[in-house]
Amino acid sequence: MSLLKLQGVKKIYQQGRVEVEALRGIDLEIEAGEFTSIGGPSGSGKTTLLNMIGCLHRPTIGQIIFDGDEIEKLPKEELAMLRRHNLGFIFQDYNLIPVLTVYENVELALRLLGDVEKKEIKERVVNILKSVGLGDYINRKPNELSGGQKQRVSIARALVKEPKLVLADEPTANLDSKTSEDVLEVMLEMNQKLTTTFIFSTHDPQVMEYAKRLLTLKDGKIIEDRKNS
Amino acid sequence: MSYLIDLATKNLFRNKLRSFISILAIALSVALVVFVKGLVGAFIDNMYSLHIQYQAGDIKIIDQEYQKKERLLSLNYPVDGFNGGGIKAMEGELKRIKGIKRVIPRIKFGAAISTEDEMIRMMGWGVEASKELEFTNIKDKLVEGRMVRRGQREVVMGADLLKKIGLKVGDKTTILYQTSFASFKGSTFKIVGKIKSGLKLLDEELFYLPLDQAQKILEMPDMATDLLLETDNYRDLEGVLAKVEQLFKDKSADQRYSIIPWDKGYSMIGMLKVGEKIYNGIYIFLVILGAFVVINTMIMIVKERTKEVGMMTALGVKSKEILSMFIIEGIIMGMVGSFLGVIVGALITKLTAITGIIDYSKAMKGVSGNILMNPIIRPEVDLSNLLYAFILGVVVTAITAIIPARKAAKLDPTEALRSN
Ligand SMILES: Nc1ncnc2c1ncn2[C@@H]1O[C@H](COP(=O)(O)OP(=O)(O)OP(=O)(O)O)[C@@H](O)[C@H]1O
Ligand SMILES: [Mg+2]
Repeated sequence: MSLLKLQGVKKIYQQGRVEVEALRGIDLEIEAGEFTSIGGPSGSGKTTLLNMIGCLHRPTIGQIIFDGDEIEKLPKEELAMLRRHNLGFIFQDYNLIPVLTVYENVELALRLLGDVEKKEIKERVVNILKSVGLGDYINRKPNELSGGQKQRVSIARALVKEPKLVLADEPTANLDSKTSEDVLEVMLEMNQKLTTTFIFSTHDPQVMEYAKRLLTLKDGKIIEDRKNS
Repeated sequence: MSYLIDLATKNLFRNKLRSFISILAIALSVALVVFVKGLVGAFIDNMYSLHIQYQAGDIKIIDQEYQKKERLLSLNYPVDGFNGGGIKAMEGELKRIKGIKRVIPRIKFGAAISTEDEMIRMMGWGVEASKELEFTNIKDKLVEGRMVRRGQREVVMGADLLKKIGLKVGDKTTILYQTSFASFKGSTFKIVGKIKSGLKLLDEELFYLPLDQAQKILEMPDMATDLLLETDNYRDLEGVLAKVEQLFKDKSADQRYSIIPWDKGYSMIGMLKVGEKIYNGIYIFLVILGAFVVINTMIMIVKERTKEVGMMTALGVKSKEILSMFIIEGIIMGMVGSFLGVIVGALITKLTAITGIIDYSKAMKGVSGNILMNPIIRPEVDLSNLLYAFILGVVVTAITAIIPARKAAKLDPTEALRSN
């Protein structure tokens, strides 16, 4: 069984009187352990698709099955629990909490789980920060870090709870190309080490090349789906 | 939950100035509540207690006819016990009721002293001196001499009255009065004490004489005009009152006497009671004013952190946890502010109490003796007031924080994430 399955997913935004059809019927299957990119022009529906998979949106029509659950049928509370345990998010602009240290920002994801012991929390947070190359920055505040470092914190936060799926909407859009590649290297390494499934969107062809599977969206439809060798 | 409290606490340090101002606003309003409540409380308690001491007792027993024209000081309708059995016996029955501490008889009557050029009108109070000394604060007001003694032909007078009649402690004076049989008489008394209280009634209008002397000259053996009851707690009269009423019913004296609790039938007290309620409203209003600053801060906070709310939702934080987080932030501000406010308020109140800064003496000039009010008010620092103000501060901020917090909890996560 695949980790994620979308069937005939449509999303229509109501903008005043105008209906915007952001997704026009998406059928997609993602297997556990994939490292997949979503490309396509601006406005093609990448963010909408990722939000849908991330259970932040419900599809207007269609079915999304994540890990055996039909998520469009779950109540809000359960979606929150699903995100809390099984989904990691990496954002374009990092979204770190400025009053928390690097350590605390990452720790938050684990504390939310509620049943992890303090000692284990510490171990896991330190380990993940080391593996994204931030072992020496544990007690810094976000504003003392570079963009690339912030994005690594954000990756660590998404991964520390060992989710089944990590979603990243244009994770490198604010980074220069060298840093972008570093960040992708880290993501790829985590994908291999932890067998975490990644789906990320990007405009950047260079970044796309890191993916093992490349999807291309246009006007709310998948127009290309190819393997990268 | 613990991470929510952690986070809310840390968030207070994001914009220190703004948090400080919000906390300050709460602190000021709470301090003001502490001070005003202390002041108003002292003012009202003072009026209540003077009213009870010199007018009403906790409960007053008078003849129903006497009640109709109390001001006339008629001696035709005295309290003379159950079926004329005398007040001594009545006192015995009353004291058997649990909750009654003391029974205080008074005879009030009109009297006069003639000086060279005019008649000075006064009110005589025949009292059991030992009871008055314990029940009222008259002891503190005796600036010269002593209280009257049982069996002696002596009086105690107010300083202003003595000035008017041109006499001093140690002098003798002849007092004119009308007996209960309406015959005019005069008796000579020795002035043994002088009162200076700031109350017009005591300083200028009345003189004390021993009850037995009053009973003798007025020909009212074992009678009084008023019988005051002192109870264990004047704020909680109901039980005692019911028992007194029952006793009077059993003695079939309920048609003859009125049993009047201190807070019924006196317009002044009624007004004060309404005033107390109004002030309770004002305290809440004061704190709401302070809380407005907090609401304002919270609205800004929610706006600034919209994106963060989106992020947290993505992380799996539930909307009711988002709600709690913001409310907790408000509550922390409310608690810190209220705590500071209580301390500052208590200090200011204490200071005012020591200096006795609030002095109504000037304002009281020319106020009738019927209004019993102490010209110097010393506000009280009372633990229950402090607790009230603290809880009020916290509760009001918590409630007002709900408004912006709900807004945060209702944010659509994808919209929130797109915002800047
Ligand atoms: N909340 C919304 N309300 C109305 N229309 C929306 C909303 N969000 C997205 N859209 C519309 O849906 C379409 C898809 O938008 P989406 O953000 O998914 O595109 P995208 O591929 O992520 O674009 P970009 O590369 O610019 O980020 C666009 O036409 C957009 O205007
Ligand atoms: Mg987008």
